[in-house]
Amino acid sequence: METTADNAVGRTISSRRSVERLGYVFVAPAMILIGGLFFLPVLGLVAYSFATQDGRGGAGLPATLANYSKFFETPLYSSVLMTTLRVSAWTAIASAVIAYPVAIAVVRGGVIASRTITIAIIAPLLVSVVVRTYGWQIILANSPTGVLNWLLLHAGVISSPLRIMYTETAVVVGSVHVFLPLMILPLAGSLGRIPPSFAEAAATLGASAWAVFWRVTFPLSFPGLAAGLSLVFSLTASSFVGPRILGGTDGQMLGTLIEQQVSSAYDWPFASAIAVVLVSTVMILNSIGQRYVTAKPHDKAG
Amino acid sequence: MKAVSSDTGWFVTAFTACVVVFVLAPIVIVLAMSVSDSELAIFPPSGFSLRWYDAVLSEPDFIKALGLSASIAALATSASLVLGIPASIGLVRYPFPGSRVVQNVLLLPLVFPGLITGLALLKLFALAGSYDAFLNLLLAHVLVTFPYVLRTVTASLVLVDTSLEEAARTLGASQFGVFRHVTLPQIMPGIFAGVIFAFITSFDNFVVSLWLSGAGTVPLPILVFQHLATAFDPSVAAEASVMVAIGALAVVLLEWSVGLRRTAAH
Repeated sequence: METTADNAVGRTISSRRSVERLGYVFVAPAMILIGGLFFLPVLGLVAYSFATQDGRGGAGLPATLANYSKFFETPLYSSVLMTTLRVSAWTAIASAVIAYPVAIAVVRGGVIASRTITIAIIAPLLVSVVVRTYGWQIILANSPTGVLNWLLLHAGVISSPLRIMYTETAVVVGSVHVFLPLMILPLAGSLGRIPPSFAEAAATLGASAWAVFWRVTFPLSFPGLAAGLSLVFSLTASSFVGPRILGGTDGQMLGTLIEQQVSSAYDWPFASAIAVVLVSTVMILNSIGQRYVTAKPHDKAG
Repeated sequence: MKAVSSDTGWFVTAFTACVVVFVLAPIVIVLAMSVSDSELAIFPPSGFSLRWYDAVLSEPDFIKALGLSASIAALATSASLVLGIPASIGLVRYPFPGSRVVQNVLLLPLVFPGLITGLALLKLFALAGSYDAFLNLLLAHVLVTFPYVLRTVTASLVLVDTSLEEAARTLGASQFGVFRHVTLPQIMPGIFAGVIFAFITSFDNFVVSLWLSGAGTVPLPILVFQHLATAFDPSVAAEASVMVAIGALAVVLLEWSVGLRRTAAH
């Protein structure tokens, strides 16, 4: 009897082990891919950021912090960091302001309206960033034949063409366009989880439409807002196509600076250091955003 | 409540309409430019002509780039399926200690800046002496597309009714038979969505390809980007419009198969 029971227990344990082993086997090839083509090169890049440039396109020991001090102590480079943070912040804020009414329309609108809006918002995500940015290049062109200038000149709103291209504003406009869907989706998700009875109760108690929005809807949508803000901020901060095509020299950002350091200056250690600064900045801001996502309003809404 | 909702309703509707115009404007402008009869890509486009498409489609560089991007996308997607479907099954059906962490680790390339991934890979390939641009691009694109497949397939595996699998097993179906005839049909929409996402992600990828393209190995987005700086006639708009058409096809396929809204929710 006892031996049979032992066998049975042994079998369950060994079958659980074999099930786990099957899990490892199935996941192993993917882990090798991520390990070899992601962790290894990224860690290599971090190591490279502490290397000394040898002047012949190569780099090696001794380990140094010179690449980092060069970045933070040269006004030209630290101003690129400031531009990156400024453009990303404006893009995130503008996206949030634009996204709120749209997210409300998606959540509160009728079935057909909500579906149409969602498709119109998401569909551009499947069109190349290069194409969409090219579209903005045509629209924002500084000549009188730019779409915006042409419209404003013909409507008599302005008498000489505006200069928007090759400024930070152009990069913000292009970035808002590219990343807006990623603000609308989490926001709509958050708004959709707020029971309509909350707003109804506030309205019944005499709150105006604005008061309902500011004191009920807005605070309860905080998790979605925080998720959207950190997503849009970090994607803008690490973008390349927008600043490269629309930014010119005024709108240079960390992404374009990295490319320039590798392609023109061949300074790999310095480019690696900028990459580490960029990724660290984005990660710190994301973890702050993450803290808000898990903050109180979510529990109340859920 | 009625009064409140119609009050905000007017503003919300008008504003949303403006946002939809804003979102579609640059794409519509590119399409309009591509059929302009003018020699310059300036506004307003004049006349109607398909000659830029004629010119673009008979340009060897463009056809080569289109073919390269399509084949890399197809191969990278296939490789992502071969890696991603077993990995999803391992994570969802045979969880092991730490499998949740592993899942997040496998999805990491999705949230990591592609520009930096590409830069790191360029250095790795250079150190490893791998100078075959096609192979380098393909490996990089597998890395970029794999997380999309993993995400959609794990999401649909979680929704599979395991009692059906147990029933099939009780009735004597083999392990593989259960997967082939019970599980696979149920996760098919997830796999399909993963395929479309992976393909279009690879096809449109710019930031990783930027580093890895070679002299004769130029993916389509890189080629269009290069032409932006050198060509001022509507031929660039025609090239861009071909990319829009492929994106539109992906939208239609996703909407038709699983619904764009559901895939976006993942």
